[in-house]
Amino acid sequence: MEVLTHALAAIWQVLVVGLILGAGLPALFALGMRSLSSGRLAGADGHLSSDAPPVSALGRAGAFVCFGIVVLTALYGIAIIVHSEWALGLIGIVE
Amino acid sequence: MPEAFFILSVVVVTALAFDYTNGFHDTANAMATSIATGALEPKTAVGLSAVLNLIGAFLSIEVALTVSNKVIDIQGPDGAPLAALMGTPILTIVFAGLVGGILWNLATWLLGLPSSSSHALFGGLIGSTIAALGIDGVKWAGVVEKVVLPAVAAPMVAGLIAAVGTWLIYRIAANIPDEHREAGFRWGQIGSASLVSLAHGTNDAQKTMGVITLALIASGDWTDTESVPFWVKASCAIAIALGTWMGGWRIIRTLGKGLVEIDSPQGMAAEAASAAIILSSSHLGMALSTTHVATGSILGTGVGRKGATVRWGVAGRMALAWLLTLPAAGAVGALCWWLAHTIGGSVGVGVVFALLCAASLWMYLHSRKAPVDHANVNDDWGSEHGVDEAILSDDHPIITVPDTHHAMSTNGGATAPRRAS
Repeated sequence: MEVLTHALAAIWQVLVVGLILGAGLPALFALGMRSLSSGRLAGADGHLSSDAPPVSALGRAGAFVCFGIVVLTALYGIAIIVHSEWALGLIGIVE
Repeated sequence: MPEAFFILSVVVVTALAFDYTNGFHDTANAMATSIATGALEPKTAVGLSAVLNLIGAFLSIEVALTVSNKVIDIQGPDGAPLAALMGTPILTIVFAGLVGGILWNLATWLLGLPSSSSHALFGGLIGSTIAALGIDGVKWAGVVEKVVLPAVAAPMVAGLIAAVGTWLIYRIAANIPDEHREAGFRWGQIGSASLVSLAHGTNDAQKTMGVITLALIASGDWTDTESVPFWVKASCAIAIALGTWMGGWRIIRTLGKGLVEIDSPQGMAAEAASAAIILSSSHLGMALSTTHVATGSILGTGVGRKGATVRWGVAGRMALAWLLTLPAAGAVGALCWWLAHTIGGSVGVGVVFALLCAASLWMYLHSRKAPVDHANVNDDWGSEHGVDEAILSDDHPIITVPDTHHAMSTNGGATAPRRAS
């Protein structure tokens, strides 16, 4: 019984962290791409029309922030692969 | 040649062979989606994955000597073998367990079914331990906690996360022009798949390094339980990378084409979910199998996208294979231990090793009857391949979710109901 409770607690944690990073980051990546396309959305045929305006500075900045967060988190993931103790210590998780 | 040295050599070679099968069995976990969506050429994908596995294996600094301590009772808390088992007894147990793991990996590869290499190894070791020490040699609570529950949880957790990710991505990216969307998500897909490959190299090669180090300690050739000899690290890294490079095309085909028809945004959602779960799960007290996570993620991207086709019949066969992993690899492990022990000494181990080679060769030759390689890995599912027939019987009609989301229905072909022939 104790085994099951412990396992369920662990599964719950994995689910929460997974939703934030595993679903949240791809969504953020999509948001970055959307930002890069702001004002340049697809026409009815799904393609960009030939007279679309260039990407706005604001759109670029938004995309930069989104992609930046995604890339930094991925680098942090590599840090966990290489040295989990150190990387997890950074955010206060002690193994 | 002294008997102990011969047995140790066979164990090391067998462990490296297991590592190699581990490599090609799991290439699909990282690269099946990138290959299926065309983000990477098949050969480029397996090459990239192989290099990242190699780097990942060298990056590993933790010593996975106690990896089997949770399920079987053949080592002390520090990872050194129990005094009573030092030498040939523990070497024979480990050897028979490895043989069980390799044969299960090869059989599932032949059928094109993804299955967890760690579970195959655990299954083999549990079987050989029962044969050698009796039922008390197995820590059953550990088996439930570390093997059974994670196997049930992994596909569900991964599937849910990937489904949510897919749903969000398609919501957010609906109006992005096709050409930009495709290109952007391909990059995202390659990046997230690379992360999965790197983590795989670290986690899985570490297990074989642990097994070989255990064998070296058992034979008295190594004493440090806190580090791994460099040649062990290097040979395990190379073995898993070579295995990955070989491709395991049958499993790549099943995961990339057989389960769900996927587009780049789905591919990215699947790999990102896999990477996040694999990297976080072991630190949160539940180590999940890369294979179970990747399969669940890919399934989830099919559930999360309206109009996508999910072949539940294929998923059912995989679930069946996962249920059988532990008992099947265990039975082979037990049988091999019994055979090696009954004949005894170098000859016993040699006979089992010869049988392993013969069975492996037979399965390899059998695979050549319906070969799957980089050239035909992406052919339409249900075409002339033997591997498709093995996985999909005639009575599995494809279940299609009605397409109600017009903005994103770029792939009309994927929504048409089809039957496997």
